[in-house]
Amino acid sequence: MGEFDLLSSLPAIAPEIGLTILIFVAVLLDSFLHESQRKGIAYVAALGMAALAIVPIIPGWAPEPGPTGDYLFWGGMIRHDALAQIFRIMVLASGALTCLMAVDAKRVGNKGEFYTIVLVATLGASLLSASADLIMVFVALETLSIALYCLAAFKRNDSKSTESGMKYFLFGAFSSAIMLYGFSLLYGFTGQTNLYALAQFMGTEAFANNAVPVLAAMVMVIVGFGFKISAVPFHFWTPDVYEGAPTPVTAFLSVASKAASFAVMMRFFIAVFPNDLVIGDYVIQNFWVQFMAAAAVISMTLGNVIALSQKNIKRLLAYSSIAQAGYVLMGVAALQATTPLGAERAVASVGFYLFMYTFSNLLAFAVIILFSEATGSETIADLAGLNRRSPWLALTLTIALLSLAGVPPAAGFFGKFYLFTAAVEADLVWLAMIGVLNAIVGLYYYLVVIKVMYVDRSEDEDKPIPTSQTYRWVLGVATLAVIILGTVGAQVIFEWAVQGAGTLFALLPGVF
Amino acid sequence: MVELNAHTVVFAIFSIITLGGAVGVVWNRNLVSSSYWLIFSLFGVAGLFVLLSAPFLAAVQVLVYIGAVGILITFSVMLTRGMTQIKDVFNRQSAASGVVAVLLFVVLLVGVVLPVWGPSGALSSAPASDVVATTAELGVALVDGSQYVLPFELVSLLLTAALLGAIVIARDQDK
Amino acid sequence: MNVLNEWAFVGVFFALSWALPALPIVAAVFFSPKKANAIKLQTYECGVETVGDTWVQFKVQYYLYGLVFLVFDVEMIFLFPWAMAYERLDTFQFFAGIVFIILLLDVLVYAVKKNVLEWS
Repeated sequence: MGEFDLLSSLPAIAPEIGLTILIFVAVLLDSFLHESQRKGIAYVAALGMAALAIVPIIPGWAPEPGPTGDYLFWGGMIRHDALAQIFRIMVLASGALTCLMAVDAKRVGNKGEFYTIVLVATLGASLLSASADLIMVFVALETLSIALYCLAAFKRNDSKSTESGMKYFLFGAFSSAIMLYGFSLLYGFTGQTNLYALAQFMGTEAFANNAVPVLAAMVMVIVGFGFKISAVPFHFWTPDVYEGAPTPVTAFLSVASKAASFAVMMRFFIAVFPNDLVIGDYVIQNFWVQFMAAAAVISMTLGNVIALSQKNIKRLLAYSSIAQAGYVLMGVAALQATTPLGAERAVASVGFYLFMYTFSNLLAFAVIILFSEATGSETIADLAGLNRRSPWLALTLTIALLSLAGVPPAAGFFGKFYLFTAAVEADLVWLAMIGVLNAIVGLYYYLVVIKVMYVDRSEDEDKPIPTSQTYRWVLGVATLAVIILGTVGAQVIFEWAVQGAGTLFALLPGVF
Repeated sequence: MVELNAHTVVFAIFSIITLGGAVGVVWNRNLVSSSYWLIFSLFGVAGLFVLLSAPFLAAVQVLVYIGAVGILITFSVMLTRGMTQIKDVFNRQSAASGVVAVLLFVVLLVGVVLPVWGPSGALSSAPASDVVATTAELGVALVDGSQYVLPFELVSLLLTAALLGAIVIARDQDK
Repeated sequence: MNVLNEWAFVGVFFALSWALPALPIVAAVFFSPKKANAIKLQTYECGVETVGDTWVQFKVQYYLYGLVFLVFDVEMIFLFPWAMAYERLDTFQFFAGIVFIILLLDVLVYAVKKNVLEWS
């Protein structure tokens, strides 16, 4: 690994160092501030994370190959490349918005622990999206997961919240154990833990007849990642946890945890099972691409169909998020593209989709938090007359839902456009077709919610939903992001993601 | 073939302790007894670590798992008074899960373990490493910048979050 | 085989620690006079019959103590090898351990300030 050089290694973990300091400060503030002042921690955490999210964009801070000649830093624990930076921005932005969204949430916002645990979860997700070593992947994943288990059960007197925490924990622990077993097999096969060293060893002659063991390890790893991204058939926890967890937690869980897991999943499969890994007569890549394509089809279809019959808006968004995971998996399956550009565009389409999904979903959840804090209800029917109660809220929720549905000018249109294009370019026309059909089904249930807000009448129309200054900022920033990503910013961000994807493949021996 | 010597005999004893303890955990209807069986099983694992020349891990196993986790499990069982003596069977799928478990075991044995580490497997001729790392070497590796310092520091933050979360959830009154 | 020789004393010690308490119990079965009656067979604990169910619910404070203990126990385990290697550490490696300890102290301050360790 070469000599360790501290100064050149520090920029690789700049966001994490910042987050560690924030955690340290947040714990101290929580210990010493009076209870009524603890809401202030939210602003410290949010501003800190927002500032850290800007760091990767500063010119001159672009990732440079480290002392070892590649992007691997800290003994190969993380790979500091442009793609990791893009995902870190998503994670940090969603962490910041989550903290602000939680400020006024009852029994959540006045607890300093909440913000500390969100910071730790953000740190885990941020490291996860850059991890390049089995040990690092596992520790980062567990940091994220354990923090989220605590957050899901945060309202300890609310039986739904504790139930959701328990369910999330049991499913999570079980799938983590399976994934860890897969990791231990990979380590046992090769004696290596670095993702980029695993493939080289498995490509050697010693493994010529051992496609089945490698595939078994691969399936176990897929179970672990499939759980985190809530792809069918590992989705059973999703509706209950989304419904029961405090809504800011659901918002964070649905974007940050998912984005980081997709980032590490793509990195994992590109590095460990690259397209030139042939064991016996089997091209290993074909297997996982088919897994991803199959999971994409089932997730999209099942998520969308079940979402049609939901009465609770959080459950609706849970099934919608299963379907969205299906769309994104389409982009992962498109990694089977035979040209470097095709594969890069596949990765970039996933990156762009998650980028816009982060803001769209957070926007939707922000409105739901406001609504349920004011009315105590989470059912779709109670959204009736929202347009007359608070026209701006109705408009922002409409923009968020249109973005999730993929209607221009909201960002979701370009997100789906790039994903479907990537799938077509990778000779997965049938998959793109299924994706388009599903988008139409999805459009229906999003439109139903919009119809309820604008057409249906209710008796409470003269009671506007109180919106604090903080929430106006959150809604404003997220709406702006969704609109920009759907119009002028789409091409820019996508090109940036393509460049980032280029570094994911750069300096890899053997790939292309 | 496996030769019969002191090493294999001790291995067999610890395996029986580990697996037998695990069976005891699953079979017992009383949660307190189950937690004692769990400690028994974890002790067997500590023995296996000794056989693998990892005395530090064996000590950790005894200190953390038997010393702390075992006690914590016993505490949490005793916190939930009503659950200590439940005799009802909630789950009637034990036969199905048994079949699945046996199938999974056979698949892993035939599909993964034998072809790789079996008598004629791909890695059967690979020599076992005779390097025995000392605890001091482990200590250096944990904090070395070109080894495991990132996971090491991350663990402390993970424990921070775990402790804070557990305290929030477990405390009976808001302070 | 080396491993077994090194650890043989633990095995001997283990066997002895089981045998020594077992011996008087077994001996008592053989040598004690057996004249049982109803009063003699009563459960005897400080002279008072137990009232109600003995499976009482514990205070949550026990659990919190156990929890805090567990977390610091695990942190101690991670610091132990670092301390063992103390003389071989360079500056960075030394401070890596110090950072770990500082983060640990942070949590301890929290636990003390929030009265987690208080009994009442």
